[in-house]
Amino acid sequence: MNSIDADLKRRQRFDRVVSVLHKDLYRYAAWLCRDPGIAEEVVQEALLRAWKSLDALREDGAAKSWLLTIVRRENARYFERKRLETVDIDSLTPGQSAMLAETEDPKLAEMREALYRLEDDYREPLVLQVLMGHSTKEIAELMGIKPGAVLTRLHRARIKLKEEIQKEAAA
Amino acid sequence: MSASGKIMNCEDYREAIAADPSESFEYGAEHAAACESCSAFRTEMLALDDMIAGALAIDVPDLKMPELPPLGEDDGKVVNLPFRRTERLSTPAWLGIAASFALAAVIGLQFIGGGPGTDRLLAEQVLAHLDHEPWALKVTNVAVSEKQLARVVHPEIGTMDRSLGLVSYAQTCIINGMRIPHLVLQGEKGPITLLLMPDEMVSSPVSLTGESVNGVILPVGNGSIAIIGERDEQIQDLEQRVVDSVEWSI
Repeated sequence: MNSIDADLKRRQRFDRVVSVLHKDLYRYAAWLCRDPGIAEEVVQEALLRAWKSLDALREDGAAKSWLLTIVRRENARYFERKRLETVDIDSLTPGQSAMLAETEDPKLAEMREALYRLEDDYREPLVLQVLMGHSTKEIAELMGIKPGAVLTRLHRARIKLKEEIQKEAAA
Repeated sequence: MSASGKIMNCEDYREAIAADPSESFEYGAEHAAACESCSAFRTEMLALDDMIAGALAIDVPDLKMPELPPLGEDDGKVVNLPFRRTERLSTPAWLGIAASFALAAVIGLQFIGGGPGTDRLLAEQVLAHLDHEPWALKVTNVAVSEKQLARVVHPEIGTMDRSLGLVSYAQTCIINGMRIPHLVLQGEKGPITLLLMPDEMVSSPVSLTGESVNGVILPVGNGSIAIIGERDEQIQDLEQRVVDSVEWSI
């Protein structure tokens, strides 16, 4: 096989692997960094890294976890020099506001705001479980924590969200 | 009974169900069947999860695939630089700053103007950043979307007159720990990089000249703008137009 054929095959494999996961990667990145613009950049950068190290992916079936790991690292790299720990919901950038304002359903909007305010440590496992369909074991591997810690965070995340929503409803 | 042989109590069940409403854990279904209150709690958690799922499913924009560089003998290095200096090595992002020091030696770069040390450090970071995103420097007649441009040069940073020329690349990047717009214009000789840095002051223009680049960091208000083109690019023609076209918000 000449180099042109090899390159073509590689590109076809990459397209196959990425095309079905592209949206998931974006949503995961967006909820990690809470900024659609940065999420796009993070995903683009992650895909470039994935392209360069595609040979490290032995089975296409493992692509989802592999790509999410790359996105997670890329997000950390992006913020390693300036970590925005807290975001004041009243002083969001236009991109961040747009992320929260997408829905017209007031209950969904409240939940989105509550998720937005949730601490990173609680939000991430929730995104991986609810949105990505990951098991506790998979989340633990991706986040580098023990399964017990994942369950604790998931439990606390839901209780916090429930309380937030109840507080909003009572207000 | 739980896996440990004990009967699952309500507290254990609720803790487990809040962590995993699918009730995939052992003996959960048995407990819920026998406990009306916990069964109701599970229903509540499932409804909460429906809301969470709906809220997490944000709209996804039309995502562009990045341009994938061909991989050859130098696997993993970006080399797609038709007008770019070929003697310059591509480096991973985390090596960017360190690379800039070596880079200055490789391309014989000089900072003319002799500003303070901070100006020089800024110049090094600017160059390191170019090394970080070489794929931005492609010759093209395809402009970046207005939406993307507006997202990068957003009102909190300032405004930019769109008549400057065709902007083929716009991303928010980090220079010196600050998020700044990184734009690429199509010049006469090739791509021209613009870095809009509203928070980075330079005391006077810092010229960046080398074997294959011609650039400058200009003081603009309380910030600065880096303009970097190919060696033969007459960026002096562009300097005033760029300065006039940008207005900081702060």
